[in-house]
Amino acid sequence: MNWFGFLVGLVTFVVIGLGFVWVIRGERYLGYLWWPYFMALGIVLVIISFFFQNTWASVLTGVIGGSFIWGATEFKEQAIRAELGWFPFNAKKIRPPFEHIIKKWKVPHL
Amino acid sequence: MTYNLIGPISALATFLGIWAGHVLVREIEKHSASILPPSFGFAILGIGLLVSTFFTSSLILSAPMGIIGMTALWDAYEFFRQEKRIKHGHAPANPRNPRHIKILKAHTTATTLDLLNRNPIGKQVNAEEALQLITLEEHTQ
Repeated sequence: MNWFGFLVGLVTFVVIGLGFVWVIRGERYLGYLWWPYFMALGIVLVIISFFFQNTWASVLTGVIGGSFIWGATEFKEQAIRAELGWFPFNAKKIRPPFEHIIKKWKVPHL
Repeated sequence: MTYNLIGPISALATFLGIWAGHVLVREIEKHSASILPPSFGFAILGIGLLVSTFFTSSLILSAPMGIIGMTALWDAYEFFRQEKRIKHGHAPANPRNPRHIKILKAHTTATTLDLLNRNPIGKQVNAEEALQLITLEEHTQ
């Protein structure tokens, strides 16, 4: 019996669960225009995972990185959910650096 | 210097697992007369993959199997959450699906409109504005 794959699945379950939390909180306090930063963070984590010799360190950073990239694509819908009153709406958001440039980009949404 | 492919592979499995689940659950729920068979199918797939990981000695195979297995198992439960979203009007009902027609009759909150199909405007909106915003974008597209 190899427990490795099952444990990786269990860890992924927790990481995705936390993804729900940080997407909701991140959108509320920061706003959806932060999406490129979360996506960049995810990509950096995936690249870092490539260089870990330790298997669990590599898996963990990879899974967290993958969920950050996914979460970045969820920000826009979450912003609309808050505007519709399905989630608490916070008008005083912390604006992202280079907001005027980010606004010109098409927000990824899957 | 040696590299460890297991991290990027786990990242890919996580991303694709969530993406596929996200799209498939919505599409299948939209067209299925009953959500029990597809939910059961995803549960079997998830449990099957998770059980298989116990007999897989290759770590690089076992990791994505565990990840996809667990997300498939979660998707089995997501069918019920998606149906709840339809009842609340948080996801659009399909007027050609007999199960959704029943939901539309029984739940006044249910709607065939996708209220999320627009861009954020940076302020809270009431029900009327929410409708205007999605129809406005339809005309400009």
